[in-house]
Amino acid sequence: MTSIRLDHLTKKFGSFAALKTMDMEIRDGEFMALLGPSGCGKSTTMNIIAGMEGPSTGRVLFGDRDMSGVPMPKRGVGFVFQNYAIFTHMNVRQNLAYGLKVRGTPQPEINRRVTTIAEFLQLTQFLDQPSAKLSVNILQRLAIGRSAIVEPAIFLLDEPLSNVDAAFRAVMRTELKHLQRQFKQTMVYVTHDQLEAMTMADRIAVMDHGVLQQVGTPLEVYNNPANVFVARFIGSPGMNLVPATLVERDGQLRADLGAAGISAPLAPELAAAARTAGAGEVWYGFRPEELSVASGDAGLAAGVTFVERIGSRTVVHFDIAGEPAKGVFENDVALQEGSAARLAPGPDAVRLFDRQSGNAIGGSTHGLH
Amino acid sequence: MASIEFRSVTKRFGDTLAVDDMSFRIEDGEFFCFFGPPLAGKSTILRMILGLERPDSGEILFDGRPVTEVGPAARNVAMVFQNLALFPHLSAEGNIRFPLLERKVEAGSIARRVAEVAEKLHIGHILHKLPAHLSGGERQRVAIARALVRDPVAYLMDDPISALDARLREEMRVELKRIQSELGRTLVYVTHDQEEAMSIADRMAILEAGAIRQIGSPTDAYDRPASDYVARLLGAPPMNLLQGSAVDGEFRLADGAIALPLSGVPEGTVTVGIRPENLSLAPPASGAGATVFEVEPLGGFTVVTLSAGEDRVRALLRGQPKVETDSRVALAVNPAAVHFFAADGRALSAASV
Amino acid sequence: MTAVPMTDTAAPARTEAQEEKRLGLFLTLPAQLLVLFIAVFPLLMQLYISLTDWSPLEGIPWWQAYELWNDFYNYIDLAEDPRWWGALWRTALVMAVCVPAEFLLGLGLAILFVDNFRGRRVFYSILLMPMMVVPAVAGYMFFMLFQSGGPLNDILSTLSGQNVAIAWLSSPDLAMFAVMVADIWQWTPLMFLILLAGLVGVPEDQLKAATLLGANWWQRFTTIMLPRMKTIIIIALAIRAIENFKIFDTLYIMTGGGPGVATETISVYIYKLTTNDLTWGYVAAIALVILISLSVVLGIAIARMGRSRATQP
Repeated sequence: MTSIRLDHLTKKFGSFAALKTMDMEIRDGEFMALLGPSGCGKSTTMNIIAGMEGPSTGRVLFGDRDMSGVPMPKRGVGFVFQNYAIFTHMNVRQNLAYGLKVRGTPQPEINRRVTTIAEFLQLTQFLDQPSAKLSVNILQRLAIGRSAIVEPAIFLLDEPLSNVDAAFRAVMRTELKHLQRQFKQTMVYVTHDQLEAMTMADRIAVMDHGVLQQVGTPLEVYNNPANVFVARFIGSPGMNLVPATLVERDGQLRADLGAAGISAPLAPELAAAARTAGAGEVWYGFRPEELSVASGDAGLAAGVTFVERIGSRTVVHFDIAGEPAKGVFENDVALQEGSAARLAPGPDAVRLFDRQSGNAIGGSTHGLH
Repeated sequence: MASIEFRSVTKRFGDTLAVDDMSFRIEDGEFFCFFGPPLAGKSTILRMILGLERPDSGEILFDGRPVTEVGPAARNVAMVFQNLALFPHLSAEGNIRFPLLERKVEAGSIARRVAEVAEKLHIGHILHKLPAHLSGGERQRVAIARALVRDPVAYLMDDPISALDARLREEMRVELKRIQSELGRTLVYVTHDQEEAMSIADRMAILEAGAIRQIGSPTDAYDRPASDYVARLLGAPPMNLLQGSAVDGEFRLADGAIALPLSGVPEGTVTVGIRPENLSLAPPASGAGATVFEVEPLGGFTVVTLSAGEDRVRALLRGQPKVETDSRVALAVNPAAVHFFAADGRALSAASV
Repeated sequence: MTAVPMTDTAAPARTEAQEEKRLGLFLTLPAQLLVLFIAVFPLLMQLYISLTDWSPLEGIPWWQAYELWNDFYNYIDLAEDPRWWGALWRTALVMAVCVPAEFLLGLGLAILFVDNFRGRRVFYSILLMPMMVVPAVAGYMFFMLFQSGGPLNDILSTLSGQNVAIAWLSSPDLAMFAVMVADIWQWTPLMFLILLAGLVGVPEDQLKAATLLGANWWQRFTTIMLPRMKTIIIIALAIRAIENFKIFDTLYIMTGGGPGVATETISVYIYKLTTNDLTWGYVAAIALVILISLSVVLGIAIARMGRSRATQP
């Protein structure tokens, strides 16, 4: 078990900066998700931790040990590839034994450890099967077992669920999380799927364009996104953001959403933060799940553009002052496509972001900078 | 425009029964979804509609006319393949206009049609680019545009957006639904993603091993599953299916953590199904209860997994309730939202409570 | 909106698929007959001639060769022909030296060329050049190189400081050596090309995974690269073995099979029989024996390859 510290890491490929100053600490035994869209630098970060690539500048430390110049086989890192990279010309047993064999571990010791790990991962019955035709969940366990058998200090997983069927992904998520809890190893998990990050990780590091946007527990990044990128990326659907101007009415700070009308007064804490920041032009943000239908003239004016019932809930698509927005409702919600509606975001659910910088106004104490 | 009908269609590949004596009718202008796990027969059905496979027995009809013996070209059905199958040496526009060239449509009308679909799919600005220079989502749109540019009797789509990432998939499926309803054309769609199927289909067929287990609107299939198989496939997290037995005038489930009045349980019930969203937690009363095994906060919702005896029960709660792992809780269920299944998996209608 | 463009009568369309099949057969029939003719006719002709003493000097057309029928004497003669056995032995020797040498050199070069380095493309082109040289020209080049007063001896003289005049091509052992050098020079590039394609095809993730598990280069080579290249290695060896078995043009220009019969391989022997001795019945017998033995060896190799592919998709 080891903590990982990324100290002023940067990485350039030619003139393209894949990583622009990355500073982060991953704690001992923590399950950290690196989350972001493709090209955000998450895989580069992971490859630098593994030693597959060297950083342009900066250092990687495992515990107190500077890993610069330590080659990839000497880092003690277990790596699970996106496609698992199983040695398909070997059977399951040979795959599991590989790491021990190349280190010259005596055969009885190899046998003992292969038996133990196979039992732990419920691979015993497959031990003598060729690995080429195994199902994907067994491949995942095999990939983890093959890395775990050499007892790495750190586990790195590169989008291991991206090739798995939607229906099966939930099962694999649960399995993976329980494995991590059992191994109690530091795990870094790269994904572009916010649901995977939310459900599995102890903390999430959200990245975009080579820049770390926010680090926090799943609920921290969900409740208090540091900027508009995180607000949109986390959540399913992501946070609604409507451009607005802050105005004083009856001594209270409200958001003027143009054609949609003027919002209810902002919560006192948020209003205070907005006043302190001298905010004027903002993004008015609220979660689709924290939206209710208002009666009469209350709330914001919106048009219903699409109603999507997905099993347990109904997602209603709105047009609010020309901006698309969504609401998640119970299935008995009385909204029809093409009709008008009045919407009221919960008073504590509103978040404001500076229109210029995109950064959150107040609220977020978990943001990075 | 056309309705599409299968009458007792059977298709084997060697010893494998891919489609087993299947009958259904897709109505004209309908957005129809085939949903099921891999190898359930989804793609074989599509290929038979296209005319790429011939049924071993049974009949296929378009608009009531038999087409079983008609070749794929003459059936005039447009297909979007899972792997998109764009021509890499042609620009987006070249790809889109390709089906028209083959069909000898006159030049002026080609340009007009291409412009129309390009506008509909918001790809006017990338028409000059080669597929290799397009993003996954753009390639997807081009492939769909290539199908739309034709004037076919129906569109078929085989899992066309599965390769996109989650956020883009959510957008694309709404867009597809919008385009289809604008065109008013029959669209047959295959997917293995239950959320996608429920979101876009007017009606859907849930498949298992080459047979249709249920056919109907997504709401119908979700609210009134015909069997425990269908119940398990729809919904995330999936329905809790619990074995129970009658004790002391109650029907007890999950080691007694859930008890239903016996009067509301139909005769022959073996399995009881409860959707996670219909369960709620309460502080434990004396006696039976469940232990919180795992709490997964999703932000707007929280999934709580409970263990009660041998059973694992999932509850989907709104918001971010404070639930401690390993704490004891009582379970409450809305009796009107409980499903009952017989030993063979068939749904039993609930007696009025 | 288009109507469903199809006839209401399904009956005429019923046999559409069958008809297409029949049409396909009809259209390919000429080609199939041609292939049959090309492959089977010469074979039968050879078999026929090989059972006779026919020679163009006999003054009768080949189809009347039955007048010179000699049963299986050509085959019996062959079994007792020391020149044939000598040629076979020398051919096998060339193969046993050249093919492994080309393989090892090719593999070594392929390994060097897997990773990108400065000037890779230039070196790559230079490496492939020998393959492009017309074999007869290559033969001439090496003929010049190995002359007693040729550049090789000049270089050796300069290096050693004494006058070196090795008779490369007129000493039996050295002539064989020179012929082998020429073959290796010309055909290592092909081996290199095939093996490089195989090496590039080894999944990079698997190599990385092995590295992360602590495998050093040699371990990765023996446990990942070689097993995954098995099929392509067999193919490369088979191609070169078959080609090498037929070694002729370069060799003939360099030594003409000499001195004496010191470098006479099967092809050279057949050539001499055909052009000097004109014993064509005998040549036909040799040709058939070679064809059949090669087919057997190749058949076994392909069968084994199929087996290894079944266990290694």
